[in-house]
Amino acid sequence: MADEARKKEILEKLRNGVIQYDEDACREGANEAVAEGLDANEAIFDGLVSGMEEVGRLFEAQEYFVPEILMCADALYAGLDILKPHCKQMDLGVKGSVVIGTVEGDVHDIGKNLVKMMFDVAGFHVYDLGRDVPLDKFVDEQLKTDSELVCLSAMMTTSMVGMPKVIEKIKAKNPNCMIMIGGAPTSKDLADKWGADGYAEDASNALKEAIKMVAFLKKLRDEKAAKK
Amino acid sequence: MNSRERVLKLFKKEAIDRVPCFSGMGNITETGINELGYKFAGIHLDAKQMAATAATTYKLFGFECGVVPVDLCVEAEAMGCVINVYPHAEGILYPTIKEKLIHNEAEMDTIKIPDGFSEKGRLPLMREAIKLLKADIGNDVAVGSYVLGPFTLAGQIMELNDLLKLSFKKADKVAKLLDLCADAIILTAKEFEKAGVDYITVREMGATSDVLSPRVFKNLIMPPLQKVIKAISCHTVLHICGKTNDIVTFMMEAGPTAISVEQKNDVAESRKKLGSDALIFGNVDAYNVLVSGSEDLVRSTVRKCIDDGVSAVWPGCDIWPTIPPENMKAMMDEINKYGGKK
Repeated sequence: MADEARKKEILEKLRNGVIQYDEDACREGANEAVAEGLDANEAIFDGLVSGMEEVGRLFEAQEYFVPEILMCADALYAGLDILKPHCKQMDLGVKGSVVIGTVEGDVHDIGKNLVKMMFDVAGFHVYDLGRDVPLDKFVDEQLKTDSELVCLSAMMTTSMVGMPKVIEKIKAKNPNCMIMIGGAPTSKDLADKWGADGYAEDASNALKEAIKMVAFLKKLRDEKAAKK
Repeated sequence: MNSRERVLKLFKKEAIDRVPCFSGMGNITETGINELGYKFAGIHLDAKQMAATAATTYKLFGFECGVVPVDLCVEAEAMGCVINVYPHAEGILYPTIKEKLIHNEAEMDTIKIPDGFSEKGRLPLMREAIKLLKADIGNDVAVGSYVLGPFTLAGQIMELNDLLKLSFKKADKVAKLLDLCADAIILTAKEFEKAGVDYITVREMGATSDVLSPRVFKNLIMPPLQKVIKAISCHTVLHICGKTNDIVTFMMEAGPTAISVEQKNDVAESRKKLGSDALIFGNVDAYNVLVSGSEDLVRSTVRKCIDDGVSAVWPGCDIWPTIPPENMKAMMDEINKYGGKK
């Protein structure tokens, strides 16, 4: 096990690799973490995710825009792909699986992919249906996988109106399933009206929401660690 | 002064009796489609149905224009993309691109505009639809059409993810592709002009400052956009969605007759920036006000748009077809009552 200073150095490399969209640095940092016996979960949360949190802040401050976020996401995945096989099964009391996709009529999937990334990070099992997904497929997939969360995304007003139908069908069959909607034309009002449990109006908000959720998981993990 | 005179005078910045209410984007309604007994999925592939449906928003409600097409896939299809009109759909699903043209970075260099472009895809159908629409209501209202902006078209013919990243990493390559897209858009616009449209809206929806920085907008988006607008000889309206307050000056510099903004733009602020002479169209929320809002909200929104200083009350996006007829009527009634007060 590496000493504290070295550990900090590796976490910093992962964090900065994400912020500076440097895939090589993330790969290098991840390999070092594995080689030197760092806890993989810690490398993900305190390195990669911590970097993504900063990216979210930079986006809000309008220093970063969508192209930068996409590149940061690539860097995060470069590190995550290496660290993931070394993760211990996280015992968080949340055994997450999620069905996610962009609704039929919409071929935009940037926001959806960012949210998916954060679920990947959090160790969820992600059933990604892709884009332009027929409405019934969400319902079928939820039933088949018994996922407790379904995320519907739409970037265009023109495709958003399919959402209430899906929400209604899923809730009818499985009232406990949580549904999150997202995309530029959605709003809290619409989410409330349609019976969705959460919403994110754009990629950055979706990212923020997902980060919040993952940060919450991280807090749980820390509390658990503190108890030990 | 009829609607046609009013709108055309507005474009020429001549005196008019009141603020007009029209659009340069899709504005067909389910009420209109049902009245004709058509299906939404069918009207994209039939010039007669397209033109007849487009005329209903004027005929039923007095909306002051006629606009075709209804979908956003005309240029991409003419370039060779396969589109999906969702023929099975019961409700309203707009056509999307099924098959991209560029699958990897290398193909950005090899892509070409197909020979005989003006006969490709639905361009012949579009010419016919415009002519039919003009023959039907062209004496009463201005007839418009729209094209995409180069960046938005590029986002249709290749993965938007890749386009966005490359616009950062390899701006030269993207600039070259955008220039080619600009040429295809110009060819499309020329066909619309030949068919007799009075104005063309250039919809650069993908380049909103929610997505790209003003710096990238200026360096990468502006040059091909300027090229398109310069090449169109009829009146032009440049539309960009999302938060546009930071780029309205650039939008004007791109050289359109007017700019179009949506509800996320603070029009009073834009008016201050651009001066009293600039033509600013907007910024009625096309869904949350027109479709799910009450008649009162529609009316107060029309008044607010006028008070903020729009030159024309104009939905910030395609009118979603399920707009209740009462809301459409309320919008037109309010424009008649309040549109001449300023």
